[in-house]
Amino acid sequence: MRLPVLLAALVAVATCTETFVGHQVLRVVPKSDEELQKVQELQALEHLQLDFWLAPRGLGFPIDIRVPFPSLQAVKAHLEASGVSYSIMIEDVQALVDEEQMEMLRSSRQLSLNTNTFNYEAYHTLDEIYNFMDMLVAENPNLVSKLEIGRSTEDRPLYVLKFSTGGTNRPAIWIDTGIHSREWVTQASGVWFAKKIVQDHANNEGVASILETMDIFLEIVTNPDGFAFTHSKNRLWRKTRSKHSGSICIGVDPNRNWDAGFGEAGASGNPCTETYHGPYPNSEPEVKSIVDFVKSHGNIKAFISIHSYSQLLLYPYGYTETPAQDQKELHELSAKAVAALSSLHGTKYKYGSIITTIYRASGGTIDWTYNQGIKYSFTFELRDTGRYGFLLPAKQILPTAEETWLALKVIMEHARDNMY
Amino acid sequence: QDIDDVGHKYYLELELEDVLDKGRTVHCTAEVLYPLGSKSSAPDVQVAVQGELRSTEEADKEFYNRIRSLEKELVAENIPDSHGNVPPELEPIHLLAWAASGYVTWQNSTENTKFHLAQVKHVKQVKRPDEDLQFDYLLLLHEMVSQEVIPWEVTVLWHPRSGARVPRDRRQPSH
Repeated sequence: MRLPVLLAALVAVATCTETFVGHQVLRVVPKSDEELQKVQELQALEHLQLDFWLAPRGLGFPIDIRVPFPSLQAVKAHLEASGVSYSIMIEDVQALVDEEQMEMLRSSRQLSLNTNTFNYEAYHTLDEIYNFMDMLVAENPNLVSKLEIGRSTEDRPLYVLKFSTGGTNRPAIWIDTGIHSREWVTQASGVWFAKKIVQDHANNEGVASILETMDIFLEIVTNPDGFAFTHSKNRLWRKTRSKHSGSICIGVDPNRNWDAGFGEAGASGNPCTETYHGPYPNSEPEVKSIVDFVKSHGNIKAFISIHSYSQLLLYPYGYTETPAQDQKELHELSAKAVAALSSLHGTKYKYGSIITTIYRASGGTIDWTYNQGIKYSFTFELRDTGRYGFLLPAKQILPTAEETWLALKVIMEHARDNMY
Repeated sequence: QDIDDVGHKYYLELELEDVLDKGRTVHCTAEVLYPLGSKSSAPDVQVAVQGELRSTEEADKEFYNRIRSLEKELVAENIPDSHGNVPPELEPIHLLAWAASGYVTWQNSTENTKFHLAQVKHVKQVKRPDEDLQFDYLLLLHEMVSQEVIPWEVTVLWHPRSGARVPRDRRQPSH
């Protein structure tokens, strides 16, 4: 049937400027020459803006006409007055177009066979991202490996990609995205970062020089239970999905569960709130697995945890007003990183310590990593500043990832050039 | 400025940018007085806009007529959707929700809150015998400090000549 082809063409148009809200497709099957003539009269009336999907051919052959909303009444009146019967094939063309568009997006997601056909400009499901990781490793076995550092509350594997050109326990950079599951632009950016690292290495540019002496660890879906929940039930879910005795409420804020000022002001003791710190530090396997990894690795030099939204670059502390010992260096490095970020699309970022820039927050990731001696501990809050918030349109994934990468490179290069 | 026995006053200079007319900004000054004490009353706001805002008469009329001519009441949900998409014909509904959430934010703000509209969970048009358009919204407001997402029932009346009004709003428990 011609319909899908015509619809696909309409979708192509619809994605540009036109809308077909309220448009209908009418079908007339002329049973006499008079009826045929009546329809042909309509064809001549340009101001009606009729779009003949099936032009008049002869008696007994269907004539399909897309009628724009403003012309509907006139066309129907004309047909009815002449006794020409018609049926409504499509009640609302736009509704169908929208549905078709969704289908197209859905199918384009399922069929990615390698990381070159993967759609980086769309949001993906957990399975799609885990599949992406496996493809990336398979395509680059000498550079990328996948480590399972633990299992989530709901027993999902916690995967970290390791990018290494060799050596033994080289000084390393850690990047995590998606610790708060509703911050979808972060996991999407993490996927892009993974591909970017591989590309840079292949082309011997960008971070290729960093990989000569350092390893990069990237945990893309740091909170897979939460992420799955944002797809299945609640797009705005933030926490883990753990249930601790004594409450019907579910989930702990994984960015309040670290052992740095744990339980102090800046987190909540109420399990039903979004900043619940949990019953004790590292109660969440998503957090404990990283703690164990960092401690046993022992040679991580930079730790960057990525969130959205607000457009901020933050360094410790969040749980205390006491400035970090390396405050000056971290502040200057932040300025450089933010300048690099802005250079791409003009996106404006603010920067500073957590407590002075955003709010008091205790039990946070980078406060713990900093206290472990990882000097270059940073948190990003990516786009935007509230217009779309967590629901950032997919078309902003690429620009966000690209600009953020420039800032990450500044931090990584500084860590490499200032080894401690 | 701390005003004894009254509250804290903030003097602001703002640049207003129309999201539908980027590149052009309008300068504003504002004075915001947060009242002291536990009684929850909205901060007092005085604003002066220095310059002209774009005329929306044409677009307003078009939207008004389009909605008035709908046979069935408009119903929609999840604006934007999970992927951040807003269908073009629902953009005015989204913008109206934004305006309404601005009112609710103002009425419920303290020096320790920062609200954003996270999503229009549900919206239903209610046909009225008078000239106004009425939309009953269920909005999800994101509060930055607590990180809570708060459902809020908001009724909005709108007419091209009188603009948006919120006669009714009701906060719902978080979850």
